[in-house]
Amino acid sequence: MRRPGFVVAFAVLTGMLCTDTALAQSTTGWPVYGGDSGNTRYGKLDQITTKNVQRLKVAWVLQLGTLEAQESTPLVIGDTLYVTSSSGPKHVFAVEAKTGTVRWRYSPEIPADVQQTTCCGLDNRGVAYAKGKIFVTRLDGYLVALDARTGKELWKSQVVDYTQGAAITSPPTAVKNLVVTGFAGGEYGVRGYISAFDQDTGKEVWRLYTVPATGEPGSETWKGDSWKFGGGAAWYVGSYDPQLNLLYYGTSNPAPWAAVVRGPDSSAYGDFTNLFTASTLAIDPDSGKIVWHYQSTPYDAWDYDGVNELVLADVVVGGQTTPVLFKADRNGFFYVLNRKTGKLISAEPYVFVNWATGVDKASGRPIEIPEKRPRLDTWARDICPNLFGGKNWEPMAYSPQTRLVYIPTFNLCMDLAGRTAEYKRGMFYLGSEWDLAKVGPGGHMSEAIAWDPIKNVKVWGNKEELPFMGGMLPTAGGLVFHGNIQGWFKALDASTGKLLWQFNTGSGISAGPVTYELDGKQYVAVVSGRLVTPPSFLGHIGEKIFASSPPGGALFVFELPAP
Amino acid sequence: MTGWLLARGASETAPPATNPFHADASVVPVGRSLFNQHCSHCHAPNAINPDPSRDLRRLKLRYRENMAHVFYETVTEGRPTKGMVPWKGVLSEDAIWKIFTFLESVQREP
Repeated sequence: MRRPGFVVAFAVLTGMLCTDTALAQSTTGWPVYGGDSGNTRYGKLDQITTKNVQRLKVAWVLQLGTLEAQESTPLVIGDTLYVTSSSGPKHVFAVEAKTGTVRWRYSPEIPADVQQTTCCGLDNRGVAYAKGKIFVTRLDGYLVALDARTGKELWKSQVVDYTQGAAITSPPTAVKNLVVTGFAGGEYGVRGYISAFDQDTGKEVWRLYTVPATGEPGSETWKGDSWKFGGGAAWYVGSYDPQLNLLYYGTSNPAPWAAVVRGPDSSAYGDFTNLFTASTLAIDPDSGKIVWHYQSTPYDAWDYDGVNELVLADVVVGGQTTPVLFKADRNGFFYVLNRKTGKLISAEPYVFVNWATGVDKASGRPIEIPEKRPRLDTWARDICPNLFGGKNWEPMAYSPQTRLVYIPTFNLCMDLAGRTAEYKRGMFYLGSEWDLAKVGPGGHMSEAIAWDPIKNVKVWGNKEELPFMGGMLPTAGGLVFHGNIQGWFKALDASTGKLLWQFNTGSGISAGPVTYELDGKQYVAVVSGRLVTPPSFLGHIGEKIFASSPPGGALFVFELPAP
Repeated sequence: MTGWLLARGASETAPPATNPFHADASVVPVGRSLFNQHCSHCHAPNAINPDPSRDLRRLKLRYRENMAHVFYETVTEGRPTKGMVPWKGVLSEDAIWKIFTFLESVQREP
């Protein structure tokens, strides 16, 4: 019963009911990073099916013009496709969604020294759209509004001073008359915040610090002045439920990684949980205040960011249709929360987890195994998952057709030790020594899994040799599309995981695919371009990844040719 | 290129930097740990980096007899447009040369 209301409200949000004729077809487009404001990434189109996907061919290709990691999800509004390149972004392209012909290009000059303050690659994950405007976030900490028709810059606002060690890599969230964004910087000791800007003027409307200052609620969870450089950066995308009028964001690791700076050097951390890091936040978008929070990794010492996307769905729990959110946390547990109240429904491991035996249902806290917590100058060995997490930013997806969540997972472990850390502005603030190149049980390094979020079981899994597989796209045609780091773009049977079709894009795929319909025809699109920086953390495994495909940067669009 | 320019620019005003721990194998494990704490987020644990532009096992191949000097100048002054921050005032001279001694132990031969 909730669903129709959700769809209508969402349609208003994204301009679907807009009278603008150029936007009239956007019900079959891809209007927001996660497909819908609930980040389900479910493609409602069903022309391409398990029966005909073998005939899928390239319709057109757009070269993105950069070779750094390509992580962008294109948007399709009406008959226009918007896609970003890496490195700033170096380019935002608006192209005809049918042919790839470029309509306009926005190519901002980004200061060269952003490399110093961008921890993990010069990436950009795409733009947001609302009411005729394209919103672009940049590595130099700016948020820019462009005219969606012309690419003309309408306003430019500074979100954060990047020189302190901040960068914006993910698209903002359009909510009502606001555009909301966080930023990255948990590795540089930023004090995270999420801020909202007026869509028309670019004026900052509110700012929510994710780490409270002395005297504010939650400040008692920090040792001394450690909150000042406490991290908690909301560097990935938000979700929005227009019916509950709640905006959801995840927050990163606390800074520095060495926990002893922020509390006791022990698993018995008591109240030193370091709020609101490694958490899910439900925010009132009108006031910018936290309505509820759930901290998945209190007093994090493993770099288990809590930023992974919140996927909103209405599912039957104990006989009752319940508004929930799903989160495949970096810490290895799959969380199902009531998204209205924040109440924990379930938290079970979706990958091999050995740092905690489970999640205590009453407190919501992981039940830690003390020898798996790195302490000052003391190694914790063979911790699974490693700091890339059971899942990283590569997006998962939920299909209401199969009622399964499709997750690109990692199977890697690590050794980690705490070291002495001193904060210096603009420098890494880690206090840590690590070895991430440890393969988990089974010898594979990643796996595409279909996860039943109610029964908490893996329905099927396809193991991949190398880590960093791409995001997921289930469709109404009974398919799941995803790429891998070798550059293969695959179509699987959504019910069984059976490989039905694949295409070699020539460079690794991490981004999530999208699907759209134009003039009665379904297209599937994905950005290809291998990660550069994260594989470098993996030593000899990283060398294998670099050997598996060259760097690249291209958008591939597929169609079924006329029979 | 930048490194070569830095090295050349510096060589006109200052004597080339030399490693006080040169060939002292006992320093290597200490240098390795320091490297893994301060450098590995960009240059990879144990310097095993698949990205040629950040692979410090290639210092000798690239800079030959100027290797120590280019290393010292780059670490202390940084290369801001290449992502390298200046470490002067953060790492001591002692730590910088211990890290270098570790790197000497993992150089690829021409």
